[in-house]
Amino acid sequence: MTEPPAIACEGLGRDYGPIRALDALDLVVSRGSLVGVLGPNGAGKTTAMLLLATLLAPDRGAARIFGHDVTGDRAAVRRRLGLLFQETSVDGLLTVRENLLFAARLAGMGGRLARAAVADAIERGGLGAHSNRPARELSGGWRRLADIARATLHRPDLLILDEPTVGLDPEHREMIWSILDRERREHATTILFSTHYLTEAEPADRVVLLAAGRVVAQDAPDRLRAGLGEEMADIDGPGAERLARALRGLGAARTIFRTGRGFRVGLVGPREPVVELAGGAPDVTRFALRPVSLEDVYFASTRGADEPAEPVPA
Amino acid sequence: MSAWSAVYGIVARDLTRTTRQTSRLLGGIARPFMWLLLVGTGYNAIARLEGGLPYQVYVFPGVIAMAALFGGTLTAVSTVYDREFGMLRLMLASPAGPAAVLLGRVLAASMVGILQGGVVLAVAPLVLPVTGERWLLALGALAAVAGMSATLGLLVAARLRSVENFAGIINVILFPLLFLSGALYPTGGMPPALRAVARVNPVTYGVDLLRHAFGQPGEFALPTDLAVVLGVMIVGFAAGTLLFDPEQRFTARGARRPSDPASA
Repeated sequence: MTEPPAIACEGLGRDYGPIRALDALDLVVSRGSLVGVLGPNGAGKTTAMLLLATLLAPDRGAARIFGHDVTGDRAAVRRRLGLLFQETSVDGLLTVRENLLFAARLAGMGGRLARAAVADAIERGGLGAHSNRPARELSGGWRRLADIARATLHRPDLLILDEPTVGLDPEHREMIWSILDRERREHATTILFSTHYLTEAEPADRVVLLAAGRVVAQDAPDRLRAGLGEEMADIDGPGAERLARALRGLGAARTIFRTGRGFRVGLVGPREPVVELAGGAPDVTRFALRPVSLEDVYFASTRGADEPAEPVPA
Repeated sequence: MSAWSAVYGIVARDLTRTTRQTSRLLGGIARPFMWLLLVGTGYNAIARLEGGLPYQVYVFPGVIAMAALFGGTLTAVSTVYDREFGMLRLMLASPAGPAAVLLGRVLAASMVGILQGGVVLAVAPLVLPVTGERWLLALGALAAVAGMSATLGLLVAARLRSVENFAGIINVILFPLLFLSGALYPTGGMPPALRAVARVNPVTYGVDLLRHAFGQPGEFALPTDLAVVLGVMIVGFAAGTLLFDPEQRFTARGARRPSDPASA
């Protein structure tokens, strides 16, 4: 018998009064997957995570975690979960070790088992030198690592991480992702995470883009990028719109969207005519070609849903 | 088993937090002594009580109740703090569930109330004649009052989202509970309307329970005191479990987004 998916939700939604925070999330995540949830602030990412974590009741739809219903079988769901939210949740008055011991007991571990799990989490998190210091004395990066150690201490099957690296320097971000990679490698832990650092979503098996409570794109990062074009052109300056229109006329533009600074054009076909056209374009202060990134996917998807991009006439 | 580990973990954490906030702990212990020594000494000279009891003897059970009431209810602030900083969300998402979380918090807050009241109880022989048996009875009554106070404090804290709001609201609730309980002066001399309020004030029965324990004349029968104090604890706990339930967490569904830092 095959194991049910780590996450299976259909039409999952929640309102806050008149605000439709999450419209209808359809998502199936197989065990061991890494899934990134992207979207602007207020897109519904945290709501989706709270619904899956059994901390909010859905207004619509249904969700199952490893086959357990998030509303009907909350205790069974919670036994499989490790959670981390945007705010740090280590208690500044306690030492790191005491914080982790508290987490172990909260997860139902007692005595020797709890102490062994704490020692293991400290070792995995590289927290040995800080384990007996009050958490309030730690830097934000080390506090977040203590948070990660807490969330993974009981070896959950599914980690739900809401912006796990927010506000951290690259070194601590790297440390956190190396711990999470190890969890996936050694325990086939499924990870659902949200982030505003789009490069962190590049290694994900799947990316879900939310905007204004709706899923606006969902696929593997490679396929999402390929959908925009083979290459991306950044065009700035007063003549940017005219050049974008000309590229569409040339048949070289698969997608065109406006950003705060100018236009981005997803290109297909040979490069030479594009470069030639751009070279002669007036009032263009910057024209640069580069590989398509997830940030392009983000802008192309979320601006369309949240704040409609101005149409560019062909 | 797992729920009991969670309860134990919550109690251990809350007590550790309390002992590390020494100024708050010492302030809680000093409050009843200030009343006993500063107010009690002054009132001794002017108060004429039924039965000819010196005021300090009369007020002693009330001061213990005061210590338990403040210790038990004010410890609930850690629940509001935990909600404000996201810790409560993690506790409620643990397999133990809301009832275990609430039980752990009630036990921890009760222990703080017992500790603060117990320090006053320890000096009982300096104020009034007390046998070992009476002392043990008073300890039991203190535990009941502390448990009831902890439950009441958590009921107040259950829906609040900012420490500032808790501080403002709890004082408005605490002072009437204390002053209309017969802890500091007899309710018999109050105007009828206030006396009626005192009769529905659960702390009145806790104070009366402590008076019985010290062998002082009580206003109500001992079984009545016990029934009210334990009843309030049980009903309060049941109500608290519902209020702490994460599905009810965002009251009036739609009131706020989960990430909204605005406080209630």
